[in-house]
Amino acid sequence: MFKHLSLRCIDLGKVKLQKNKLEICVKYISMRRFKQMSLAVSLSMGVLAAQAQAPAAAPAPAWKQGMPEAMANSTLAPLAGKLTVTKAADVPINRIKLPPGFKVEVWADSVPGSRAIAQGDGGKYYVGTRPLGRVYEITDNGTTRTSRVVIDKLDQPTVAYKDGTLFVISVDKVLRFDGIDKNPTVAPVDLTAKFNLPPEKHHNWKYIAFGPDGKLYVPFGAPCNICEPPSAEYAQIRRYNADGSGMEVLARGVRNTVGFDWHPVTKELWFSNHGRDWLGDDTPNDTMHRLKVGGHYGFPSCHQGNLPDPDVKKAKPCDGIEQPVALMGPHSATMGVTFYTGNMFPAEYRNVLFNARKGSWNRTKKIGHDVVMVRADADGRNAKVEPFMTGFSNEADQTWWGRPAYLHQMNDGALLVSDEQNGVIYRVSYSK
Amino acid sequence: MTLRSKWRALAFLGVAILAPLFSAAQKPPARANMCNACHGPNGNALLKDMPSIAGQPKVFIENQLVLIREGMRDIPQMKGVLNNVPDSELTELATYYAGLKIAKPPVQKQTDLYNKGELLSKEMRCGICHLPTYEGREQMPRLAGQREDYLLYTMRAMKANQAVGRDPIMIASLYGISDEDLKAISHYQSRLSN
Repeated sequence: MFKHLSLRCIDLGKVKLQKNKLEICVKYISMRRFKQMSLAVSLSMGVLAAQAQAPAAAPAPAWKQGMPEAMANSTLAPLAGKLTVTKAADVPINRIKLPPGFKVEVWADSVPGSRAIAQGDGGKYYVGTRPLGRVYEITDNGTTRTSRVVIDKLDQPTVAYKDGTLFVISVDKVLRFDGIDKNPTVAPVDLTAKFNLPPEKHHNWKYIAFGPDGKLYVPFGAPCNICEPPSAEYAQIRRYNADGSGMEVLARGVRNTVGFDWHPVTKELWFSNHGRDWLGDDTPNDTMHRLKVGGHYGFPSCHQGNLPDPDVKKAKPCDGIEQPVALMGPHSATMGVTFYTGNMFPAEYRNVLFNARKGSWNRTKKIGHDVVMVRADADGRNAKVEPFMTGFSNEADQTWWGRPAYLHQMNDGALLVSDEQNGVIYRVSYSK
Repeated sequence: MTLRSKWRALAFLGVAILAPLFSAAQKPPARANMCNACHGPNGNALLKDMPSIAGQPKVFIENQLVLIREGMRDIPQMKGVLNNVPDSELTELATYYAGLKIAKPPVQKQTDLYNKGELLSKEMRCGICHLPTYEGREQMPRLAGQREDYLLYTMRAMKANQAVGRDPIMIASLYGISDEDLKAISHYQSRLSN
């Protein structure tokens, strides 16, 4: 703890040693850490320690940061997840609605908390979770699915797969399972030290994927609802070589992306991004973006490309900020992104971006709990967001029963959709 | 249908209708004895620093049981106790304890401490998640009527970041709070009855 705190402040100091930056650093840490912090500051910066010891306001709790007095009596709170097994028979699948010709079935059940899906070899799929800490391996023999836990007790692990090897990244670990397709019980190689993961947990659960360039893309969320991040290593999208070398920061100011894919024609990365909470029912929107290398996406001072933040102010906050391709709905929790390239769905679905929206909590009327399509030109213009898979919530009585989280296109062109709430994976197929 | 079989049918119907109303309160799951050994008779704890689990929201108890079984939440006294217990039994336990009543809180209170705790609880906005009555909901635990020493014990652990497997949002909600304030909040919330 002492080590990383002092490093963090030295890092800040390196960027530019200004009084306000130091205050941000001090503000961010808890009073509990204050003594250590002061010591670190005094050791590393000597004279500035006196400034740091001025009364430091306790930082706002992570999720209440930026919460206005007007909402002090709100009872909006994160939705409760379900950590226990749900059987296929208990899923009200008849309530799911799809366009004509599409069919949905429960493809795999009894995988509580299932999130992102990575396809392995030989009918194997890997699936990450959050609070349960497990990585599942689901084996499909063509008619039925069985599952096992590859590894557990991790802090919110997610998965990627390449050339017979499974990669698992949690908040604080990077593990590689070499040749797991041939050797299911292979012990993981710990690559954590190579990846230089920042220490804060909040929003640092992840989505990861290998790009067409063979590199591993890894986002690092902002460790708060709204704040000046404690150091430059947050609110970023990076890429690494598979062994952790060659790290590059590709984008900054990205609050929390937990879903991306590469455009089938342009090979550009398109990513979803969660907007901040406690700014009212209708602002800001969650967003869909194209990645411009070196681009800034606005966090913390500008949201959705055009909305200045009322708490972390700066002059002309939206100048030079990358603009979204599409607004995905305020607080909708835009998650998994998959461009459709299969042959099973009708031609009009080719290259359409599918996006799972897990559903809102910081909004008095629910939004999301669905899979939508984004149809846009290859350069991102003329985007339209349309419903695709709905019925997980009921607008009339504001109830909900499912939370679509991630998508995966199968070899035959069907679309897998994970439902984190029910711990099941649906298969959406089409026939004339 | 004979008269006797009619009576039988009626009695069966009566049981079928009434059973769900009583079964939760009347018939403890087999493992409840094990829980009560520490968490007290009917889930109302008598031991220092031990939480009462009666009247906690069902989802909260269920989540905690799963996380403790999985080794994600580290409670040394419970290590291994839930190994291989299926989800269905954990849900049964959660439903059972959620249906029990939490005991009446102690009557005597220190007025100053109580008032300070009341104000702090409002300022800290505990009621947004735990509800303004502090009775909890879904994944958020009941605070009202919980043992004072346990509230203090668990918030201290969270503040010191020693509550492995606990909700990071709750841990972050205690950034910077003083021990005196934690004592006041614990005193106040433990005296609430609903």
